[in-house]
Amino acid sequence: MTTTNAAPVAVGIDGRVLADAIRALGVTHVITVPDTMQKTAIESLASTATPKLLYVCTEDEAMGINAGLYITGHKPMLLIQNNGLFACINTLKAIALDAQVPTFMLIGQYGRDATKTIEANTRRQVHRLEPTLDAWGVPFERLEGPADLPKVRAMWERAWETKGPAAAIVGTATT
Amino acid sequence: MGDEGPSRGHRWNGDDLMLKQEAIDLLAKHRNGAISVTTMQSAAPWHLGGHTKSFHLEASACMGSASSLGLGLALGASDRKVMVLDGDGSLMMQLGSLVTIAGQAPRNLYHFVFSNGHYESSGNQPLPSNGRSDFVALAKAAGYPAALRCTTADELDRVLPEVFAKEGPVLVELAIARDDATPRWAGVPMAEMVRKLRSDLGTA
Repeated sequence: MTTTNAAPVAVGIDGRVLADAIRALGVTHVITVPDTMQKTAIESLASTATPKLLYVCTEDEAMGINAGLYITGHKPMLLIQNNGLFACINTLKAIALDAQVPTFMLIGQYGRDATKTIEANTRRQVHRLEPTLDAWGVPFERLEGPADLPKVRAMWERAWETKGPAAAIVGTATT
Repeated sequence: MGDEGPSRGHRWNGDDLMLKQEAIDLLAKHRNGAISVTTMQSAAPWHLGGHTKSFHLEASACMGSASSLGLGLALGASDRKVMVLDGDGSLMMQLGSLVTIAGQAPRNLYHFVFSNGHYESSGNQPLPSNGRSDFVALAKAAGYPAALRCTTADELDRVLPEVFAKEGPVLVELAIARDDATPRWAGVPMAEMVRKLRSDLGTA
């Protein structure tokens, strides 16, 4: 069965609009292992001096740098993909959760077939992301289209209120 | 002090290598208000020496993260020096952080690597490098503007003022003798230290 003509479940958010939503939060630094799904948002973020875009080698590093910036009075966040979240579970536990560091993450659903629900996607990195976040008690919201943009602020505020991790999951490629 | 040359194997059993405690005492002597970040083998002696009362973060709860935490602190508090007291096994867990630190080039970051070639806390198993890797060369290849190695306490005492006078990032490999008697220490919960450091820095 082909899915090319199926109606999309997730609709791409304009990357510039997503970047503007990040700027509106007062974010000072976006720490990223670049995510293919958020390419246009990264391009928009890179076009202005604020927030500062920090490219790092691994998501483990991103967690540590995020903590150091938080401790010194800044308002950083992470922009990563689903595979990257899996790669940094130990630092998520030790720094974001145990050390009680506000850690807001935009996580792209790399490999998602946007014509299907997340649950119906066969790729493990797609359908295992939310159960993984659940397993660690990390709150999240889905960004399945432009109407979900207010959830970015909601999860950002959640991270700061709880002093811990919170995620907004970018369901398909930004436009 | 040696800028060049291999750091392979032989040094880890030498009788003239500096002791960990000697390196700790000298780093404390030359600290001069810097934020300290310790992990693994440096954590207990730094704490027992009374050097963790302020402007300090201990990262043993997340082995490998000391360098990244130090980078975040250095970028965020650019008016204050940050000294990371890393371990060789710990740094190997996030070796790519050398590249990220070099790329960000924080002028206030001083990266000390306690290097004895072993995973001390788990029973002194050899590191995967088997003594063939060279942190000074790795740091330079990653893009650190300066990296050097100290093997004796006299040498370290002499070069530390020069090191802290340099613009960072600077990596100093501390070739220390193997220590089978490091005290076990439960540490302080990291959340407490995060709150304390934010209070020290006035960012709470």
